[in-house]
Amino acid sequence: MARVAFLLLIEDDDAVRTALEMGLTRQGHRVVTAASGEDGLKLLREQRPDLIVLDVMLPGIDGFEVCRRIRRTDQLPIILLTARSDDIDVVVGLESGADDYVVKPVQGRVLDARIRAVMRRGEREANDSATFGNLVIDRSAMTVTKNGEDLQLTPTELRLLLELSRRPGQALSRQQLLRLVWEHDYLGDSRLVDACVQRLRAKVEDVPSSPTLIRTVRGVGYRLDSPS
Amino acid sequence: MRRWLGRARDWLTGLLPSLRLRLVVVFAMVALSAAVAASGIAYWLTRDAVVNRAQNAALKDFHKTLGDHAGTLPPRPKCEQLKEAADAIAGSTQNYEVVLVDLERDGRQCAVASSENFELGDVPKKLRNAVVEERPSDGGTDAAHHQYWQRVNLDGTPYLISGATVIGEGPAGYMRKSLDQEQDDLTSLAWSLAIATGLALIGSVLLAQAAASTVLRPVQRLGDAARRLGEGKLETRLKVSGSDELAELSRTFNATAAALEERVADLSAREQSSRRFVADMSHELRTPLTAISAVSEVLEDEEDNLDPMIAPAVQLVVSETRRLNDLVENLMEVTRFDAGTARLVLDTVDVADQVTACIDVRAWLDAVELDADRGLMIRLDPRRLDVILANLIGNALKHGGSPVRVSVHMCSAPRTGLPAVDEARAGNLVGAEGEVLVIEVSDRGPGIPEDVLPHVFDRFYKASASRPRSEGSGLGLSIALENAHIHGGEITARNNPEGGAVFTLRLPPDASVLVAPEEREEEDVQ
Repeated sequence: MARVAFLLLIEDDDAVRTALEMGLTRQGHRVVTAASGEDGLKLLREQRPDLIVLDVMLPGIDGFEVCRRIRRTDQLPIILLTARSDDIDVVVGLESGADDYVVKPVQGRVLDARIRAVMRRGEREANDSATFGNLVIDRSAMTVTKNGEDLQLTPTELRLLLELSRRPGQALSRQQLLRLVWEHDYLGDSRLVDACVQRLRAKVEDVPSSPTLIRTVRGVGYRLDSPS
Repeated sequence: MRRWLGRARDWLTGLLPSLRLRLVVVFAMVALSAAVAASGIAYWLTRDAVVNRAQNAALKDFHKTLGDHAGTLPPRPKCEQLKEAADAIAGSTQNYEVVLVDLERDGRQCAVASSENFELGDVPKKLRNAVVEERPSDGGTDAAHHQYWQRVNLDGTPYLISGATVIGEGPAGYMRKSLDQEQDDLTSLAWSLAIATGLALIGSVLLAQAAASTVLRPVQRLGDAARRLGEGKLETRLKVSGSDELAELSRTFNATAAALEERVADLSAREQSSRRFVADMSHELRTPLTAISAVSEVLEDEEDNLDPMIAPAVQLVVSETRRLNDLVENLMEVTRFDAGTARLVLDTVDVADQVTACIDVRAWLDAVELDADRGLMIRLDPRRLDVILANLIGNALKHGGSPVRVSVHMCSAPRTGLPAVDEARAGNLVGAEGEVLVIEVSDRGPGIPEDVLPHVFDRFYKASASRPRSEGSGLGLSIALENAHIHGGEITARNNPEGGAVFTLRLPPDASVLVAPEEREEEDVQ
């Protein structure tokens, strides 16, 4: 049932771009490629892909900046392709709005699994809605409204909110959330969760720095509360 | 003499360890001896002068008045006459007491005193004998009798006692004069001198303090600076003023510190550039490796459709690419540790679950016996724990063969009996309850040769030089150890007496104390 994903691959190195395009195409994806951030942004507007695989080290505007620019208008999933697994780079990448990241040299199968996991996040599962304060989560339309206004959430943010809202008041550990939302094996990077929670809070909380909906539970993880 | 001086110096050094105290004591001793010597000489000279003058005046006066009054007495006078004369002599300005002795007409001896306090019995016998005895005339001008004197001390009061026999069968006269006045003068003089000595002593101590300060304060500053330099603050410099020996020493210190700083900067720059080279190199390797990996997977998928002559070549490319991948991955990990950019990403996890997952994901379940209770919640970096476990278990499987035994338990912190764990690390290992997490990985292989044991964690150290080809990168155990260290933990290797090697990982139950406060997760719900 896996539908063919339409990917935009932004990678400046010719060999890597060709090889990854070859591998991803063989995994059954439709791939368009761009060699620079500027070209990538242009292709994004013209072709409307489902997902972007984005190299961090690009000539001109770098991957982080491309990521930030995409997030201003679009909520489509972004997977960062980074050769720098220096921890600080990962944090910057996640803060700029990426949904997931893989470290070069990446195995084609790993990248494929991540792509499929990200694509699944947008799929609808239930047909009900839940209300938390002034936040309404409509699981049938896959929309979230705050004070009646539609919120623009990425599929990952939406999935995270859905998983938390399914167990209101119950704390979920980062590892649990990584399995539920990112479908990572037991070694997922817990900073993915933290970064996504930060972005989600910025969108759903009245005051993101003192959250009332998505609360941190010391030593455990996060939980979604109805504001009392 | 020199040896004696040396011994005295050693003794002084032992007794007074502080240079300041030593200086003060030596100053005080010098001042004290000088003051005591000066005061003593002054006292003795003054005492002589004062007492002699008083004595001479008294003796001269007595001599004169005795001569005057005794001359008026008849030979063999009556006692009453004698008494009158004694009173008259005692009435002199010199204020002494007098006793006159003569023989009466009937041959009885009569002794009269001018006051009740002074009697003939008070005159020392020796003096009396000398006065009374007739000196043999040696034909010169000497008379038959002389005036004699003696100083005595009666009940703490000094007295001058003198006696003379009046020439020509005259009476013998004795006088006693109190030297109390002179004694008082001398006592007050002694007090003054003692006070002056005391003042000199205090002055010398203060002076020594001041001198010690001027000498010792720069020395102390120098000591502080040297300590800071030793602590690694190589930019430490002293302010130099003046041109004395201490200033010269300070200048030398500054020059040394500058040279050291330059040298260290040079060395660290060189080390940094070599590290950057490794980091850059492994980074540069990644881009082509990514392309090769992606393509080799395509080739791998097509293996069944390939010419049987080419298939082994493709297999080789695929497996070697994977090895190269691992090597570059490990190299990157090592450069992160070397550059100090490795960070802990902490999470609270169930250790048994983590170990099981680590074994499971690598399909080692059949080869590993796991002895771990669930429910041990530890705060650590799960990815790094996985790296450690994968390296230790993988290493055991490779060299020892299955089954590999993994046991997980909490243990009270090892304070002693672990030579490989130094004190500082052992201190770090102590958790809130004084317990550490202990994971033991033991195999049933041949064990590790004793000469290899100290090197098992070295980078690229191969247990056997003759081994044609290593399956690992040669970095695995080194990376495992670094990952343990960054948690504040330790890994030790030993041989089991029953055979086989045992690697023991010790981790503190909560590594968050090692993470800088600003990096800790923000908490809003307890």
